[in-house]
Amino acid sequence: MDSLFTFFTTSPVHAATFAQSLWLIIALPLLGAFICGVFGRFIGRANTHLVACCSVAGSFVLSVIAFWALNDRTTAALIHGNLVPYTLWVDYGRWFGAGSFFVDYGLLVDHLSGILLLVISGVGLLIHIYSTSYMSHDDGYWRFFAYLNLFVAMMLTLVMADSLPLLFVGWEGVGFCSYLLVGFWYTDEQKAFAGRKAFITNRVGDFAFIIAMILTVLLGGAIRSEIQPANFHNVALQKTMYQARMNGMGPLDITYLSHLVTNLPAHAQSAKDASLTLDSKIAQGPLAGHTVGGMLTAILLLFLLGACGKSAQIPLYVWLPDAMAGPTPVSALIHAATMVTAGVYLFSRLSFLLVFSPVAMAVVALIGAGTALLAALIAFAQDDLKKILAYSTVSQLGFMFMAVGVGAFWAAVLHLVTHAFFKACLFLGAGSVMHGNHDETNIKKLGGLRKEMPWTWITFLIATLAITGIVPLSGFFSKDAILGFDHRTTLAGLGWVTQVVWGVGLLAAFGTAFYMSRAYLLTFEGERAKDALVPHAHESDFAMVMPLVVLAVLAIAAIAWGIPFMEGHETVMENFTAPVFGQAQQLAQRLHSFAVAPEGEPFWSSWLTPLFFAWGIALAGGAVAAFLYLRFFPSREGQPAPALARTLRRWAVDKFYVDELYEFVVIRPLKGLAHGLYRVVDDFLIDSLLVRGTARVTGWAGSALRYVQTGDVQSYAAVMAVALLGGVVYVLVAVFK
Amino acid sequence: MIPLVPTQNYLILAALLFCIGMLGVLVRRNALVVFMCIELMLNAANLTFLAFARDRADSLGHLSAFFIIVVAAAEAAIGLAIVIAVFRSRGTLNVEDITIMRH
Repeated sequence: MDSLFTFFTTSPVHAATFAQSLWLIIALPLLGAFICGVFGRFIGRANTHLVACCSVAGSFVLSVIAFWALNDRTTAALIHGNLVPYTLWVDYGRWFGAGSFFVDYGLLVDHLSGILLLVISGVGLLIHIYSTSYMSHDDGYWRFFAYLNLFVAMMLTLVMADSLPLLFVGWEGVGFCSYLLVGFWYTDEQKAFAGRKAFITNRVGDFAFIIAMILTVLLGGAIRSEIQPANFHNVALQKTMYQARMNGMGPLDITYLSHLVTNLPAHAQSAKDASLTLDSKIAQGPLAGHTVGGMLTAILLLFLLGACGKSAQIPLYVWLPDAMAGPTPVSALIHAATMVTAGVYLFSRLSFLLVFSPVAMAVVALIGAGTALLAALIAFAQDDLKKILAYSTVSQLGFMFMAVGVGAFWAAVLHLVTHAFFKACLFLGAGSVMHGNHDETNIKKLGGLRKEMPWTWITFLIATLAITGIVPLSGFFSKDAILGFDHRTTLAGLGWVTQVVWGVGLLAAFGTAFYMSRAYLLTFEGERAKDALVPHAHESDFAMVMPLVVLAVLAIAAIAWGIPFMEGHETVMENFTAPVFGQAQQLAQRLHSFAVAPEGEPFWSSWLTPLFFAWGIALAGGAVAAFLYLRFFPSREGQPAPALARTLRRWAVDKFYVDELYEFVVIRPLKGLAHGLYRVVDDFLIDSLLVRGTARVTGWAGSALRYVQTGDVQSYAAVMAVALLGGVVYVLVAVFK
Repeated sequence: MIPLVPTQNYLILAALLFCIGMLGVLVRRNALVVFMCIELMLNAANLTFLAFARDRADSLGHLSAFFIIVVAAAEAAIGLAIVIAVFRSRGTLNVEDITIMRH
């Protein structure tokens, strides 16, 4: 046991040397994208598959080495003179800069991004392998794999970036790839529209992200210049150290920001006089007159809007269900496992900022809870298997936001990881179902697949149990950790929030069990529907089944992260991410921004209570689903439903008319405004007045002047002579005046 | 010792020559005569240069005069060639009939 422990905590390579090669993790898929995109059509299908899969496999291997190196106690990075343990860091030089503002090409891998590296490249690799079979009948295979590789490269950039601008490059890059892949079958107008919808909805969030970055630079500058000697215990030494530590770092580097706020106390009464606190007004600069804490909250809320766009939360979640227009592996990779978790990652990365503002945390948690419940309710009545899974993703992302919002960052990351496994498995299972049933996605026209697609069935069942939170599976640990923290945490000054979030979270968990049971039962159990497209489904081939099995095994194996067998009943994940979230926890304790009640009961009792609770909720949800769908709701052709059930269902089927609401409140007025502006500015002012006006005036002047041009040399000469005479007269007048 | 002719006399003569040349350019119809009048104007300018060159004892004026003579010679060669070409193609040298610059 000890030797095994030593083996895994001994870096296979010299960490600082290996850090130099971190760029390869991004470069390999990027190269793959280039080869597939440019030469894919000429090198043939099999070679394209080989290039695409090998490039991702290469980055997976490098990610494993990086992760391994991170486990070594001796691994530490020297970031501009600051020793940061358990971190790989490298700076490849200046990207751009102006004055004291600059951004470097810097990559940072710590325990947080290390986990995500493994998830992205690992799940990415499985989905690449799956796609080789899934897309085997599509002529656009080279385009598909080029986009998919590009996506992986961009996602890896996002998690490895050591500064917000570089993170934003990945952020935009994954959004762009998502647009390309959602609209992959662009000849279908609806699918192209879904791609546009995803892109434009994300733009709203990205805009907020940019503003938040600008404000961060301004606020950072203000804090750095206005921090008072009273903020430091040992004035002269520590202030010099404080400033020196940040020299050489760009003002949007993650490390810079974390140093920046180290000595910022919360409120005037808890700090020494004359300290800079959250209540202090900024004296100089563009933000003069605003308080530090107020600006910080504003910045966090803007980041939240950005995260809402990317992670499909209220109010910007509407794009994700439509994004199911893309090929199913895309839904699994981008819209379930990786890209949509970018918002959760962002807040985990900025955990040390988030704990400064209980208000922002409350908003994050409430948005998460609201989204989790709303999406679960909509998922109740959807008939499209992929749509159900899409709303389920929105709902599970809501759970992650609920965790982030109460400061349980490790629980959010744990749920992110487990969700990546079981949701990717569910989506790939749905793809396999579609593949075997002639692209049928309506669960009412499926059924009885249990015997016909045994591998798809068993993996889908495991993933369904995992997402509903049945005990021996990973989903239980992550969801239970989140709900537990929601219950036990109290945000400073906002005590009611966490209790509301907890209650709503329980309802959403119940809903999860309900819609997942329904989807599973209608798809796999019972008799085959009479109006099915094909009489008998066929099981998919090895390339599709293998990733399903691996993901199902991972969905079970991920419990290793969630079992509290470290010291002090810490879960493995909590212990593992402590180097990353430790600062946030310390700050939270000092600032009193939230308090976590102890579990109170002895180990085994507290272990068993939530277990039975989760069992109860999951089983109740499943039972209610089975009961309702057998008795009241139409589950198959020829089973009419009662009127009340139909009315209830209508609302959920139509997604509570949120799309229609947006259409009337946002899109129509904007379109009207755009149309008005087009008419007045474009059509009248620019086209008529400026462009055509200029042409017309020139034309008139020309036709008037054409009579002067006779072609008679002597009349030209006469004009010149008269002009000369005029000149002479002028000179004479000027001289002899 | 012949007394020097004052500079202004030269200038008046040059101005007269220039005006005669210009008048010719403006009123004569025959392209060949117009051409000769242009030569007259050029030489009026030449005379002005030389008068000032003597007055200021500056050889730059002489230099300019030589330069103008060369340019005038070249211009005469090209101009006469154009006149001949025009006469061959149109059968006339009346400048009022030659209005192709309108196009």
